Amino acid sequence: MLVLKLWNYIRGYVVIRVQGLTLEKFINMCTVRNIYLWDVKRVGNTVLEAKIGIKGFKDLRKIVKKLGCKVSIRKKQGYPFWIYKLKKRKMLLIGAFFCFLLLIFISTFIFSIEIAGNENVETAEIVYKLNTLGLKPGTNRYFINLRKLENQLLLDMNRLAWVGIEIKGVKAKIEVVEKIAPPSRIDKNTPCNVVAKKNGVIEKIIARNGDAVVEKGDIVKKGDILISGIVQLEPIGGSMLVHSYGDVYAKTYYEATKSKGLTEIKKEKTGQKLVKRILSLGSIELSLNKGKVPYEFYIIEKKSKRPLQWRKIGLPVELITEEYYEVNKIKITIDEMEAKNYVHKRALDDILEEIPFEAEILNTQVDFVAKDGVLYGKVTVEVLENIAEQRILQIGED
Amino acid sequence: MGESGGIKKGLAEILELPKDIILDLPKIIMIGNLQIYVENHKGILEYTDNRIRINTKSGILCIMGKNLMLKNIVIEEIIIVGEINQVEFID
Repeated sequence: MLVLKLWNYIRGYVVIRVQGLTLEKFINMCTVRNIYLWDVKRVGNTVLEAKIGIKGFKDLRKIVKKLGCKVSIRKKQGYPFWIYKLKKRKMLLIGAFFCFLLLIFISTFIFSIEIAGNENVETAEIVYKLNTLGLKPGTNRYFINLRKLENQLLLDMNRLAWVGIEIKGVKAKIEVVEKIAPPSRIDKNTPCNVVAKKNGVIEKIIARNGDAVVEKGDIVKKGDILISGIVQLEPIGGSMLVHSYGDVYAKTYYEATKSKGLTEIKKEKTGQKLVKRILSLGSIELSLNKGKVPYEFYIIEKKSKRPLQWRKIGLPVELITEEYYEVNKIKITIDEMEAKNYVHKRALDDILEEIPFEAEILNTQVDFVAKDGVLYGKVTVEVLENIAEQRILQIGED
Repeated sequence: MGESGGIKKGLAEILELPKDIILDLPKIIMIGNLQIYVENHKGILEYTDNRIRINTKSGILCIMGKNLMLKNIVIEEIIIVGEINQVEFID
């Protein structure tokens, strides 16, 4: 029936009140003349209320004349009357139209700038650059060329590898990807030495250019020259500077020490608890409960509720519930095997982070020492890796 | 109904045709005591809050109840809503 109601609303109808003595006849005549009446209600002995379509109401005149009853309009309802009213108040319509237009117009301006993806480059720096390039709060979105802006930003800030600007509603979202600086390369014609990157014992030297100055089994420290760029020319006795390079494999050692107490204090809930409620309004916190916590040792669990929250917008009202659980401290002796495993694992995790990806693990050694109830574990890992690193030869130093 | 009515009735029975069409009789449908639907009526005779009398071919249909309202009225059908207590044919 909703469809029917809607249809009636669109067509428009009036609620009429008919006053007369022969109301039944009035209804019958309406039906005979194909005037559609609905929701007919008897209000009084001589009064009747009914709904009738606009067209039907116009046809009613003849019947009224014939029967001599009075018809008055009580309510006008429906879309046609609404339009009629609106026609009378043209300014309202115009105002609404312009308001709508203004809203659309204002929403084409950028209100805020959001930057994501930057880690090393300051947000303020990017924002400043964008502002000078013409993208700032208050700029119309149709007056800026995003692709051009992206390119210009990339050119101006060489620390960025990629820039993506997207305008979502009144927000400009800028996504950046920073450049990862490539390792500095030494030009092929520049004379250089190959030096050790780490301390180690030399295992193998492959000198592709330059003179190898260390042998297998030599212990080198970080910074020691492995392959010299100064090549001695034996027959003549002079020397020549070359761009030396090559691979030097050496055994290196990584160490890590971790400790773990063999006794541990564990907190166990006794089942007693105290609930405190705090109402937070912006930066003001109001405690709703009084009194101190009566437990010696306790754990706090916090929960917060934000009422009237819609997406990220909401009232700055927060209801914090703090639950204080009473705990007993219990001393637990940890199994030695378990502690060893734990220490070993943690130390190994640390070491593995340091070891370069290409290195080959040769040997691992674990030493445990228990002292004053604490277990110390020392893990040593022996790996084979390339420790060659090129360094520009400082001429004049030698 | 007269003689022709009798023939028609017989015919309707033989051919299994709907009687409300052949004999021009009212078709009355009630939904609980909330709504009554009368098809093929011959006009309203009386209409008050608690009594509605409708003229039909099979006599006067008298509907008694409370807060009766004519929800819909066209040449062929009437829908009455309200609290219906009694439906009765009066000759």
